[in-house]
Amino acid sequence: MLLTTQARMTSRAAVPALRSPGSRRLWLGLLFVSPWIIGFCGFYLYPFFATLYYSFTSFTGIGNPTFTGLANFDALVHDATFRTALFNTFYYTVIEVPFSTIAALGLAMLLNMNVRGQAFYRTLFYIPSIVPVVASSLIFVWIFQPSFGIVNALLADVHINGPAWFFSITWSKPTFILLGLWGMGQPMVIYLAALQGVPKEMYEVASLEGAGPWQRLRYVTIPMISPIILFNVILSLVLSIQYFTQAQVIESPPGSPGNSTMFYVTYYYQQAFQYLHLGYASAMAFLLFILVLIVTVVLLKTSSRWVYYENEER
Amino acid sequence: MTDNIPRGRRVRSWAAPAALLATSAVLTLAACGGPAASTSTSTSSTSAGSSTGVADITWQTMWSGNTLTLLNQMVAEFNSTHPTIHVTESNIPSATGDAKLLSEIAAGDPPSVFTEWNPVLGEYAADGTIQSMAPYLTGTYSGLEKWEYPIALQGGEYKGTLYALPMSMNSWALYYNKSMLKAAGISSPPTTLAQLYADQAKEWKISGGKLEQIGFDPDAGDNAGFEYYGSFFGAVNCFNSAGQYSFETCPAAATEANWLAQYDNYPLSDVEAMQAAYGAVAGGDDDPFVAGKMGFDMDGPWEGAQNIPVTNPSMSSNFGVVAFPGTVGQPSTFGQGNYNIIPKGAANPRAAFTFAAWLAGYDNETFTSTIDPKGGWMPASPSIVKQPAYQAWLKANPWLNVFVDQMSSSASVAPTLTATESEFETAEATATEDIAERSKTPQQALAYIDQQANSAAGG
Repeated sequence: MLLTTQARMTSRAAVPALRSPGSRRLWLGLLFVSPWIIGFCGFYLYPFFATLYYSFTSFTGIGNPTFTGLANFDALVHDATFRTALFNTFYYTVIEVPFSTIAALGLAMLLNMNVRGQAFYRTLFYIPSIVPVVASSLIFVWIFQPSFGIVNALLADVHINGPAWFFSITWSKPTFILLGLWGMGQPMVIYLAALQGVPKEMYEVASLEGAGPWQRLRYVTIPMISPIILFNVILSLVLSIQYFTQAQVIESPPGSPGNSTMFYVTYYYQQAFQYLHLGYASAMAFLLFILVLIVTVVLLKTSSRWVYYENEER
Repeated sequence: MTDNIPRGRRVRSWAAPAALLATSAVLTLAACGGPAASTSTSTSSTSAGSSTGVADITWQTMWSGNTLTLLNQMVAEFNSTHPTIHVTESNIPSATGDAKLLSEIAAGDPPSVFTEWNPVLGEYAADGTIQSMAPYLTGTYSGLEKWEYPIALQGGEYKGTLYALPMSMNSWALYYNKSMLKAAGISSPPTTLAQLYADQAKEWKISGGKLEQIGFDPDAGDNAGFEYYGSFFGAVNCFNSAGQYSFETCPAAATEANWLAQYDNYPLSDVEAMQAAYGAVAGGDDDPFVAGKMGFDMDGPWEGAQNIPVTNPSMSSNFGVVAFPGTVGQPSTFGQGNYNIIPKGAANPRAAFTFAAWLAGYDNETFTSTIDPKGGWMPASPSIVKQPAYQAWLKANPWLNVFVDQMSSSASVAPTLTATESEFETAEATATEDIAERSKTPQQALAYIDQQANSAAGG
């Protein structure tokens, strides 16, 4: 249908109205967000795709990469040290995540009790988590020094011959797990906030119904803070799978003794910066992304069975 | 059905963010240079110098502790005697030195000269990370290769081409604690491997479950395992006809592996812990031997020349040195040391080479002969040893002659630099631990070394 002149003039008059003020607000918003977008693109998106690209190449960081197809991934399958790194990471994650979750939650529950000096205790347990990781790792080296460390000295006082901790193939990973507890101040604070968000009336009702402390914990506390538990568990899982700094700082050479502390990221750092196998390391990095993604998706998918959101109906 | 959102506005609601995202991505890619970013070699890097006619070069090292003072002296001396070249020195932590060098090269801004541990030079040369020095071996420098000790020259060559010049060579011998020897009722230091094993067995002390004194353990500490003891067994370069590592079929390597396996009477973890505890102090210049807690130690001249006088002077009169007993029939050492390289893309490479040659002592024997004693370093050339200052040092410290004599021994050999040297060294260290922990037999450990060092392991 042909527009009449009047209709066309009307539609033209209407066009300027479409450009403002809504679209102007949109552009302004985008402008304010653009630094983050640029940073995200530059420091996350680009490296991600670059890593994916390099994983199909042979590249030393100098000169141009050579396309090798799936050779890096094939080599990973046959790499015994890669399997060792996977196992060590799995070992650490499977023990550290539940251990630290239970410890942090338990500590938060204790710190949630109305006792004298509550603020002091909360500060005391939180402070270790703000100590820089490298500094705390070096301190732990001395605390757990088999010959001169305080831990073995205290054990010797009770006639226990302390192990070699970081220097022992058997005890090295458990020692790193103990070191991981040093940083549980952050999840503890998050759990503490969640605990304080649980309505007291629910506990009163539960008590009136005859629920004991364990039943209140199991049927009131845990469900009410389950979203926070899920969040902390996912965070803890991701960090554990990417465990690196402490192992790199403490063990010399990294991975010792006997590759017992050769974690996934430790190995791909070694491949990238010691052996100059950037393509191979990129393949490992990409596989790590897939692994973390799978773990996170599985956890989120199964969370509906045990995570309770206040607004949902069951 | 009427759509309440005006059509033009609906189109813009996704177009604008998409356009902004695309622009951001393009800007970021342009800034980073894209996936196949190659190093942008500055054309000015080959220029003679600045507008003042002075070539500015940077020198990076990974040394720490007392050595830094020496480096400053060397730089001052070079700058005062070479008015057309100006050197600026900086040092970086050794733990991240290699990664930093790689980053600098990739960024197109490497130092002109970098002092590197020579075992990694093979892979650097193979990857084009460092420049060949062959173009500069002309004129005054045409005699440089013959001037060096053969093992010093071998340590800087990759496939017959010179890539690095030595700054300080290492030579290894057996230190012994005189008072511990006497306390154990031993009249003279060991001259055979069997004697060494028997003597050191008498010097271990454990009190209350805690290790207090170490006899000797070749599987523990910084200078441990296959790599460091290979020359004493003739097991340094075990290759097959295809040029692959072949330790599993090398009789000398099997002898060495079985010898290493012998030292298993005390938990490796305890010995490593004690070594690490002492090594963590004094900038790494301390160890149980310096502290007087170890009967025998296989180490270099710096132990007696620098570490002991600085960290524990009371040990200065309490140690002796003999050639490490081995199976090759004469004193030997393996050619290894700190070498100066010219990274790819370095500024003023010719000036950098001049400085590297000067640091090695070429045409600079007199000054170098005064510096090497202070660092406890073995020289790159016999010409330096002949200098009065070096001779005076040897006369004042006769124990040093053991180290110097080995440099020209026909049994001394430098490991052949390969493109997988790092993997090889890591495999050697792991294999040593496996033998000490009894998680692998000596033969299995040798097979592991071959498998790891020869594997392509991607790229």
